[in-house]
Amino acid sequence: MFNLRKSMALTLPLGEASDQDKWDNGGLERKRQLLIEIVLRSRLTALMVDGDTTCWVLKQELLRSYGVQTLGVDNGRDAIDLIASDAAFNLIIIEKILPVLNGLEVTRQICEIGMRCKMLAVTAYSGESERQAFLATSVDVFIEKPLDLEHLVPILRELDRQ
Amino acid sequence: MERNPMRRQLAIMRQSLFDQGHVDEQFVQLEELQDDANPNFVEEVVTLYYRDSARIILNIEQALERKPFDFRKLDAYMHQFKGSSSSIGAKKVKAESTLFREYCKSGNGEGCMRSFQQLKKEYATLRKKLGTYFQLARQAGPVETASRPK
Repeated sequence: MFNLRKSMALTLPLGEASDQDKWDNGGLERKRQLLIEIVLRSRLTALMVDGDTTCWVLKQELLRSYGVQTLGVDNGRDAIDLIASDAAFNLIIIEKILPVLNGLEVTRQICEIGMRCKMLAVTAYSGESERQAFLATSVDVFIEKPLDLEHLVPILRELDRQ
Repeated sequence: MERNPMRRQLAIMRQSLFDQGHVDEQFVQLEELQDDANPNFVEEVVTLYYRDSARIILNIEQALERKPFDFRKLDAYMHQFKGSSSSIGAKKVKAESTLFREYCKSGNGEGCMRSFQQLKKEYATLRKKLGTYFQLARQAGPVETASRPK
């Protein structure tokens, strides 16, 4: 159902397509006009921690379209167990509301284990207090769902340079 | 060149989804992820959304039948629902989810119930509109897409 993209090259939207461009020729003209490519030199890995299947699938497909190898778990306990077993990732993307252990607790425990990687909290926004609570746990970036290219691409570029 | 009438109708239908505020730019991101390898990606994700969110809707309905309201639980359910709704670009559904959560935070049970009724209407309307849209898209056939360099 959801296939890994073969290409590591990817595209970014630069601006708005005209309504006519959006469907004529399958959007081909739109892509030519608007898109640029970025290519990741490194094979990055990401752990997604989200109990919601729809969100999980979308993030996975988005990351895979950029050539990022993804692994997903749907609860906080499995995420901690994975990290504690020395699994290493360039990027961890975590939701707040999770079964077993919530996202805030998971990020705290990941830090206590000593795992060093880029951590993104991607969650349905509940207010500034939620943002601050996450940032206080050493999450690097707080993003309101959905995960978007404007946030993701600079992060992937940064990780690729490291 | 004569335009395919079915494709034209599809384009009009698609545009109306945006113009009427049913979907936002996140829907475009879903379309961006659709290609020859995943030709029905958008429909599959939307189908997945409606399948999984039905459980959350039921949980909220059941929670609203219990008095006094557990606003913390209601908010947690709606947090999850809002997240998946925003992930498919369901704009009006997302807006009602936000309103519901505000009522939860202020402990306004009547507001929660009103907002939830409206949310279910928007949820059902979107489902119907997208169902029609995808049906027409299947009839119209696959769209030519750009080939990405390897």
